[in-house]
Amino acid sequence: MTTDLLDAPAIDSGRAGFPEAVRSEWAKLRSVRSTWISLIVIVVAGLGFAALFSAVIANHWKQSGPLDRAQFDPVRISQAGSFITQIVVGVLGALIVCSEYANGSIRTTLAALPRRTTVVTSKAVVTGVVLLVITECTAFASFFVSQAVLLASGGRQLPAGSSLLDQAKSAAIPVLSISSSGVPMALLRTGLYLTLMGILAVGLGFLLRNTTATISVYVVVLLVIPILIQLLPSSVRDPIQAYLPSNLGVAMETVGSTHTDWAGTLLSAWPATLVIIGYSAVILAAGAVLLNRRDA
Amino acid sequence: MVITATGLSKHYGSTLAVDDLSFKVRDGVVTGFLGPNGAGKSTTMRMIIGLDHPSGGNVSIDGVRYRDLRWPLREVGALLDAKAVHPGRSARNHLRTIALANKIPAARVDEVLDIVGLTAVAGRKVGKYSLGMSQRLGIAAALLGDPKVLLFDEPVNGLDPEGILWVRQLLKGLAAEGRTIFLSSHLMSEMAQTATDLVVIGRGRLIADTTVDNFVSSHTVPTVEVRTGDQDALAELLVAAGATVVTTPDGALGVTALDAPTIGQMALTAGIALHELTPVRASLEEVFMEMTSGAQEYATTPMDPGAHA
Repeated sequence: MTTDLLDAPAIDSGRAGFPEAVRSEWAKLRSVRSTWISLIVIVVAGLGFAALFSAVIANHWKQSGPLDRAQFDPVRISQAGSFITQIVVGVLGALIVCSEYANGSIRTTLAALPRRTTVVTSKAVVTGVVLLVITECTAFASFFVSQAVLLASGGRQLPAGSSLLDQAKSAAIPVLSISSSGVPMALLRTGLYLTLMGILAVGLGFLLRNTTATISVYVVVLLVIPILIQLLPSSVRDPIQAYLPSNLGVAMETVGSTHTDWAGTLLSAWPATLVIIGYSAVILAAGAVLLNRRDA
Repeated sequence: MVITATGLSKHYGSTLAVDDLSFKVRDGVVTGFLGPNGAGKSTTMRMIIGLDHPSGGNVSIDGVRYRDLRWPLREVGALLDAKAVHPGRSARNHLRTIALANKIPAARVDEVLDIVGLTAVAGRKVGKYSLGMSQRLGIAAALLGDPKVLLFDEPVNGLDPEGILWVRQLLKGLAAEGRTIFLSSHLMSEMAQTATDLVVIGRGRLIADTTVDNFVSSHTVPTVEVRTGDQDALAELLVAAGATVVTTPDGALGVTALDAPTIGQMALTAGIALHELTPVRASLEEVFMEMTSGAQEYATTPMDPGAHA
């Protein structure tokens, strides 16, 4: 047998670590179709819902009352698609881990990289970078789409620096521009929220090791608990609901009023960001601890 | 010694899969790892490459724990489950992802595809592969890092005769290059074809750690099958000479402790005409079945588990 390992590093120097793990994970991610389907859905849903919701809001603006107008947030409406894409990023994160458990190839991965924490961090980093690029581009593009739809439907561009609080008195739909204060940051935070939720799903995947279980838990936390929590008395519900991930996500994309009809008062954007970072970090760390402890 | 297991144990809840197992695998030979299904072979292999954590004891490769190897795939190649691949990935991409994890040059991927004969179908999705093709891909993955130690868990399982022959020849070729091969099987005949050394386990415990030749000679009792018109008279004569005589299921006499020339001479002296005189050596399969009969996890007949184990 001939061998061609002359280009490889000497067997007694260095070791298989994070850079190798990242290259391997990136190659894995690129070479399966589900990745590309997920990323396309994120872009299409982001842009599509931005256009749809902006058109619907514009259409109803004349009939909407002062309270609705006061709570209208042009950035939040442009990110309406994140309601769907927060599920898609979770599915992608779950699949990156759980597909390896489903077919058993996690053993091949761990045989090549027996330092298991490296496997967790490399999957989280590759998932995070890919999602960050896609979700940030989608967030900004969705904003421009939404802005164009609102302007075309009789919206009025607010001068830079003017307050959204004046909009309740306005007859026209207020439209913010990308240079309006707080807008670029709100858009960046939207991408960040979706990216962190994808990373959280990676951690959840290592905890549960099963695609169906991981996606189910993820969807229950994001979509079902916010509904069930409405059954609780407000004394119990109010302190909790601002900390639900989906409500933190909305808080992160908000530039205007933090008050909502469905979840009371949201956290401010940056504190909400810190809480989401905390959730992802804790779940990912728990996944790493269990991966190290359990048999593969 | 390349692979050294010392007091290796593994329990899953209350089930003891591997029980205080100690053995050594010599450098540069094919060592067969033999045991009935459920004996703990796969569990042991998973512990060797650090996938399962031992409940007790340890196992090392050249004195190093697997997880401390710098470039594991370049030291140890393993085929544990040929179907453990993402079905949507092509064979070439599958091997590339593994190669990247241990900084193995991309050219080596094409080389191993060539060795196992999958070059022509390397772009096809692995989900469409037959079991034989998957087995070849698994072997290619094990060879990627050109490791000097190879672990194969039941590599011929489910293969057609042509595939089995191919695996055997490949193993012989790899052994001839001086590699250490640890090969599990539940078929003794398979071991006789390929292995030099033998580690035999049953119910997670060590039964033998020896060479194939030693194992056979120390556990097979030569028997001579004899047929004659007057079985009773001959049997009486042979027993008197110290032999053990039984009647075989098809009506012949099974004689142990006397060899064929002696029996023939005795029959001639007594004037008994022999119809048949055949030396029989128990096959490896029979030896193995007998040795592990008390140690089978899933026996076909009810038995007292404590009787032989």
